[in-house]
Formats: sequence, structure tokens, C-alpha cells
Amino acid sequence: MIWQLDISVLSLIVLCAFATIMVKDLLSAAIIFGAYSFLMCLLWTEMGAVDVAFTEASVGAGVSTVLFFAAVFQTTRRVGIRKSGRMLSKAVALAATLLTGLLLLIAEADFPGFADTLTPASLHVSPYYITQTLHDTNVPNMVTSVLADYRGFDTMFETAVIFTAGLAVIAILRRVTKDTPFAPPAPYIVSEGYPDTIIRFIARQLVPFIQLFALYVVAHGHHSPGGGFQGGVILGASFILLAISYDFKIVLGIMNERWNVLLGSLGVLLYAGIGFLCLLLGANFLDYSMLSKVLPATDTVMARSHGMLGIEIGVAIAVMAIVVSIYLNIVSHGKYDKGL
Amino acid sequence: MDIIVIGLTIAGLAFFFATTVGILRFPDFYSRMHAAGKGDTLSSMLMLLPLVLYNFHEANLANLLLAMKILLIGVFIFMASPTATHAIVDAGFEAGAKPWVKKPEDEA
Repeated sequence: MIWQLDISVLSLIVLCAFATIMVKDLLSAAIIFGAYSFLMCLLWTEMGAVDVAFTEASVGAGVSTVLFFAAVFQTTRRVGIRKSGRMLSKAVALAATLLTGLLLLIAEADFPGFADTLTPASLHVSPYYITQTLHDTNVPNMVTSVLADYRGFDTMFETAVIFTAGLAVIAILRRVTKDTPFAPPAPYIVSEGYPDTIIRFIARQLVPFIQLFALYVVAHGHHSPGGGFQGGVILGASFILLAISYDFKIVLGIMNERWNVLLGSLGVLLYAGIGFLCLLLGANFLDYSMLSKVLPATDTVMARSHGMLGIEIGVAIAVMAIVVSIYLNIVSHGKYDKGL
Repeated sequence: MDIIVIGLTIAGLAFFFATTVGILRFPDFYSRMHAAGKGDTLSSMLMLLPLVLYNFHEANLANLLLAMKILLIGVFIFMASPTATHAIVDAGFEAGAKPWVKKPEDEA
């Protein structure tokens, strides 16, 4: 903790938050929001929560900015200038915000200090996780072991939430009928797709390395920051990069709708299936230690490590497919014919 | 060694400063992107290189691996940053951004 750095980053974050609300151009708002996410990522790194920072960098600053762009591309760039006459609702909203802020400030006084070791939160299970992770699971990165093993239920339903989000986007946006051809709103200049050699070449060179890095993040999540969510998002982002630098069709050729939904379900199924396998082998749901009966040459400790790897792969597959699916749906207005 | 590290870092900061000034002060879209693309890439390199060198205070395998990773980040920036700049400039050209021309009577 370097307080000068904290103060400067925090004030920049507040500035970015205000700028995101105040700016009238939605595209600019999306860019500023990306900067906001990146500053949050810096702050978390500085607080020592590197896994969270990694997630924020890949999801918040990376993919969600692209998704905002896609949404802006399909809708409108300008905020509707609202005439007065809504003063009452604004006043009510302001009062509610101020009241909530006041209550939060009052409650904040009861909070323990940062990293205080004598609070209930640090006394109950945290010492067990910190001291026993390596002994129990043979995984040095205790964030991964808490996420994927001790609290595997939580992460399983997080994966299910992402899957549900993907399904919801498909349910809302996807239109199978090809009634009207794709026509972007007027203020956009859509490139006719003339091949830009520089962009295409660099993207083509970078995509394999990005995907390799994503696999590394998934597989090395036990030892370093990273894991299924981050790796899956990076994998999805590599496809989005292809879609932006080439065109929409090339990604559709690799990952069409059927594959996206199939892989998304497969990822969640893999996660839950490993849980059920433990159940079948006579242990509790998601208790990987019993997997040593089916995995060759592992004891109960190493089996937990391998079980985590299995569910991380499931998470990565699900997240990748859903990210690609959401992007394709938003950018083509659910028609899968033409897009950004 | 320390002197090289400090010198490179200061040079990187100076180029970052020049980049910022360039983005803020240049008159039109193209020259601003010129400042952003060139300055950003060079100053990132100048900041990463001392980090690599600094790692060799204790030369062992772990530090060598770390230095390799930082160098890989450098390679990535070296490829991605100019390409991104090129893409933005290209989009601006397609959108019809007018380059700045010097007109003495045009005070704006």
C-alpha cells in the first residue's frame, strides 16, 4: 500500500466515473468506462488482489468495452437530450442516492481496518485456507483453491449465470427470419470491408499467441493469477479480434451458433459432471479427493488439484463460447448476416 | 547498472511527457495520433527495458524467466500499439477527418 498512489488512482477513478455519466457521446462514455476499469485493475493490483485485477483487465477493460461498442454501433451514439419536466424524478433519485451514500458512510465507521487480522472475517475460515491450502490440495495459489475447491458450488453457479446470460442474449436478440437486410444507423461510416493488410497481418500473427497465452492462463491458474474465467475471456477476445480485423463471417465459420451453444453447455456440464462423478464415487458433490480412484497415479491431495484443473477447463470453454455468442448476437442485431 | 536503469526510466518518462503534450497540443487528428503512436510505443519500450535490466541484479533462472516475460510484453506492444494507431488513423481517414493546414488568416 502506497497511499500517494492510492489517492491519485482513486481520484482518477472518481473523475472517470463522473465523466462516464456526464459525457453526452455514448462511444466516449464507453471508452472512459474502459479507462475506469483499467484504473480499478491498477488499484486491485496495488492492494494485492492480482486475480481480481486480472479478471477486471480482461472482462472489464477488454471484452465489456467491445460489447459496449457493439451495442452503441447497433443503437445510437447520442444521449437523448431530455427536456425539463422530470425535475421531480431527478430530485427523488438524488435524494435516494444521497440517503444511501449517507447510510453507507455511517456503516463504514464500523468496518475493520484494511487487512486487520483480528476481525471475525479473518478469524473464522481464512486462516484455515491460508495455512492448509498447500497441504490439502497441493495448489500454491490459494485464490484458485478457494474458488474452485473449497467454494466450488459458488463458482459452479457463477458459470451457470454466465451461461444463462448468453442464453438470455440469444433469446432477446436472435432473429431467425431474414425479413429486413442489415442497415446500420445513419451516422456510421461502415467500411465496405476492403482488406487492410497491416491490421489483418498483425491480427493473424497475434491470434495464435493470444490463444496460447489463454491456455497458459487456464492451465497455470493453480500456480499464478489466472484461471478459467480469465482464460476463457481471453480466448473469446481472440475470436472477437478476428471478427473485427477480418470480418464477421470468418468467426461464424469457426464458431457458428450451434457450436457456441453446444460449447457453452458443454463447459457447464463438464463442471457439474465432475461434481456428479465425485458423488458417484461416494464423496460429497464436488469433493475432488475421491477422484483419485479414477485418475491414475494420484493420491487424494493431487486429485483435488486435478479436479480443479478439470472444472477450470469447463469454465474456460463455457465463458469463451458465451463471450463469442454475445458479441456475435449484439453486433449483428441477432441476425448473423452482417456486422462490425 | 543502476545508472543505466535510472537513465532509461527517466528517458521513458520524458517521452511519455512529450507524448502527452503532443496529444494535447497538436492541431489535428492525424498529428495527435502520430504523437500517441510513436511516443507511446517508444516510451513503453524505454520503461520495460530497465525493468528487464533491473532483474539481473541477481542472475538466476527465475529472474531470467521474468525478464523473458517482460521482453515478450515488449514484443506484443511493439506489434500491437502501432497497429492500433494505424487502425484508428485509418478509421479517421475513412470518416473524413480533415488534416490541418497552415492558414495565417484562420485564427481559431
